[in-house]
Amino acid sequence: MSETGSTREQVKRLIIEHLNLEGLTPDMIADDDALFGEGLGLDSVDALELVVALEKKWGLRIENQETTRAAFASVAALAAFVDRARANEAQTG
Amino acid sequence: MIRTAVITGLGAVSAAGCGRAPLADAFRTSSITLTPVDRSAGYHRLQRSRLAALVGAAELGQWIAPLVARRMSQSSRWAVSAARMALADASLELDPQASNPVAVVMSTAYGAAAVTEKMLRQVQDEGPEAASPALFTESVANAPAAQVALAVRAVGANITVTQRQAGPLIALGTAAQEVIAGRAECALVGSVDELSPLIHSILDRFGALAPADANGHEAARPFDRRRSGFLAGEGATVVVLEEATAARRRGARALAEVDFYGSAFDPQAPRTDWSRDPSTLVESLSRLLERHDAALDDFECVVSGACGSTRGDRLEALVLEGVWGERRLPPVLAPKALTGEHGGGLLAAAVLAAAGAEFGPTPGFREVDPELGLAPFDGSNWVAPGRLLVSCLATGGAAAWAMLTRAGQ
Amino acid sequence: MVVTGCGAVSAWGWGVEPLRQGLRSGRSAIRPTTVFDTRGQRTRVAGEVPPPPVAVVQRIAEWAQLAMADRFALAAADEAVERADLALVGRLAGTFFGGSTAGMLECERYLGRLTGALAGHPRLALLASQQINGPGDAVARHLEVTGPTYTVSSACASGGLAIAAAVESIRRGEVEVAVAGGADSLCLLTYSGFNSLRSVDPEGCRPFRADRAGLSIGEGAGILILESLAGANARGASPLAEILGWGSSCDAHHMTAPHPEGDGAAAAITRALGDAGISPDQVAFINAHGTGTPHNDVSEARAIERVFGARWSRVPVTATKASVGHLLGCSGAIEAVATVLAFLDGAVQPTPGHGPVDPSLGLDLVLDEPRRLAPGSVAVSTSFAFGGANAALVLAAWGDAA
Repeated sequence: MSETGSTREQVKRLIIEHLNLEGLTPDMIADDDALFGEGLGLDSVDALELVVALEKKWGLRIENQETTRAAFASVAALAAFVDRARANEAQTG
Repeated sequence: MIRTAVITGLGAVSAAGCGRAPLADAFRTSSITLTPVDRSAGYHRLQRSRLAALVGAAELGQWIAPLVARRMSQSSRWAVSAARMALADASLELDPQASNPVAVVMSTAYGAAAVTEKMLRQVQDEGPEAASPALFTESVANAPAAQVALAVRAVGANITVTQRQAGPLIALGTAAQEVIAGRAECALVGSVDELSPLIHSILDRFGALAPADANGHEAARPFDRRRSGFLAGEGATVVVLEEATAARRRGARALAEVDFYGSAFDPQAPRTDWSRDPSTLVESLSRLLERHDAALDDFECVVSGACGSTRGDRLEALVLEGVWGERRLPPVLAPKALTGEHGGGLLAAAVLAAAGAEFGPTPGFREVDPELGLAPFDGSNWVAPGRLLVSCLATGGAAAWAMLTRAGQ
Repeated sequence: MVVTGCGAVSAWGWGVEPLRQGLRSGRSAIRPTTVFDTRGQRTRVAGEVPPPPVAVVQRIAEWAQLAMADRFALAAADEAVERADLALVGRLAGTFFGGSTAGMLECERYLGRLTGALAGHPRLALLASQQINGPGDAVARHLEVTGPTYTVSSACASGGLAIAAAVESIRRGEVEVAVAGGADSLCLLTYSGFNSLRSVDPEGCRPFRADRAGLSIGEGAGILILESLAGANARGASPLAEILGWGSSCDAHHMTAPHPEGDGAAAAITRALGDAGISPDQVAFINAHGTGTPHNDVSEARAIERVFGARWSRVPVTATKASVGHLLGCSGAIEAVATVLAFLDGAVQPTPGHGPVDPSLGLDLVLDEPRRLAPGSVAVSTSFAFGGANAALVLAAWGDAA
């Protein structure tokens, strides 16, 4: 499995577990589905939960509201954000 | 025109199951399933009390969609479910797209204890950055009331009463005011509590719970000579309250009328216990009855909050006897022997009794306490009461009473 | 119906007088807190109550066994009945309280010790004041109240709802005198909770300012003694203010965010004015809920616009939370006291904070100097809760005051 695919899987499982989306499995969430509003229907509190979860899992700190909005648009966007952030971390060490 | 409030629906989530029917059955057969409290967190140091009237795995899918329930605490889930059950029981549909002039008045004794504990552990063990925002939103005592309002779009008053055992009746009285004053077309009123393992362990440490006897049998024994503690319980009870004329107009079947209610306080009571001296509350109850022109002979039943505690039951008995004086007390029900404390069992029992449901013998009761001389209902010759007094005395000194009558009396 | 006594404990100190001076000054009492370790939190500040004067400690028996919230409540209650020149024993009196935290701080210490995170033995006594009705019951016990006594815990609307309940109880003839208010103390649960929602301003809340960033938590107590005018006259009491009416509602919109158009808030204010028999044109100022969160302040401004029509941007607004922080369940109570103080001073207190007022809100925020009030002024005090419950009170200056 490619690195990006694996991150998308992990992001889906993170979302399901931390947001208590019982009954949902990763294959039920499309990579490009909107996470907020229509689509999965998450809200602002869910966004904050995810931020906490991302920090716990990957040590990512998300401070900027603008960054959050763009990064959280979909599973694909979020996985890309996570990969970029981890790559940056690895570089700056 | 005199406006009165009537109860037109009852919903409950309890150890008996979901809805009015299983709870009514439990009262009729005097039996309910008790389950062991989870001790795996290591809070329990003693082995006094193991069982409680727990809700267990309740099938709530038909009452709340899983995606909506996901962020709710158990308390909120039970409250929303019980509210919807009550509305269904009342044959009252509320349009979730409209703004409904409905008041929501809930009561809770422990508040969101389980959620609060979880959140505090996160903060304590992992630091503030690990605190879950979703948990915090459910950590407030008013979360269940807020969730009920969200579920049915109730835009009337939204109040959460936190007054221990007296909460449910105070909530009932408060809601009745909203409906009678015309500030709300109907009200969803009730009580919800979740018994977390931590709370159970603390109650046990305080020696408040009925311990197991030599045969491993645990039973709360209301008014009994050998009573030694109450049964811990949990769950939610919600009733629909409407103004009587409006209810009649829409063809609603009323379960009971709320004739009057009142509350009082005994400043001599210790912070976390019941008072030894009944005189203050005797005077308060007597004054309440007098104020509402209620004669003692009017009451055919007393639905008492007695739960098996040594001091609580004593106070309950002495207050009733102090008010009744020479007159013989009518049959006294003690529903908390079955449903435990808390969760609204008292409120549910009172409504059921007024609605004509049948009650079996009081569980756990064996022998009269000579100091009290009060034997709760033994199951024989049950006559559904036309008028009853509901009574609940809280630790810390608060007390609340209400008179319910069978609809159409 | 009149207010014949009031008591307060706040970040300005123990008593109504420090609060009065502090509010008048236009400065903020929000500062770095010492109650617990704030590492890892987005903010270090709070509206923390300073240590009590010795006289206050000596007056209250069992001080050592009481939770902080109980202490605040009792001190404020003593002050209120003293001002009202009233003994409650033998009277038909009730206690109507609002609160969110009660002995939660002490409970946190118990839990910490139980799990080993904190040193010390987990004494069960630490839990004695945990119940939310603790402070209210403590007041009733202390004043020997025998009438209706209960605590409402509807988050930030609790204090307002408690005062409303007191008003209703007196109107129904259930009690002659009501002790109404609330108390709350700082604790890790609420401090961390609002932190996790990112609704706190790291530097201290600045309600209605253009670059406001969130709320600040505060602690303390606020208590009013309420009675009918006839009752007050009969015992020769001199009123401080009048309480004309109340209104409440629920947003039923979202668990944490207020309705963006202020629907529920507007409904509560409108109902309160209706209950008081007052038209919006008669309102001289608004003691706003004003938490300083981006959402709340917009929602409140929209509500004010809806209710007050053409003159909405000319009704003076003050936000007590900028001075003492958000006292959560107690906030409605201390802000009712602040409103009474404005009447007594004859002036609306300025709202502390730096930076320009948010022009998009269109409000007339009182700044820098107190704004003079005409005699007999009427005010609205608002409280909009987490979870959607809303409460509004209508108060008026007594006689020639203000």
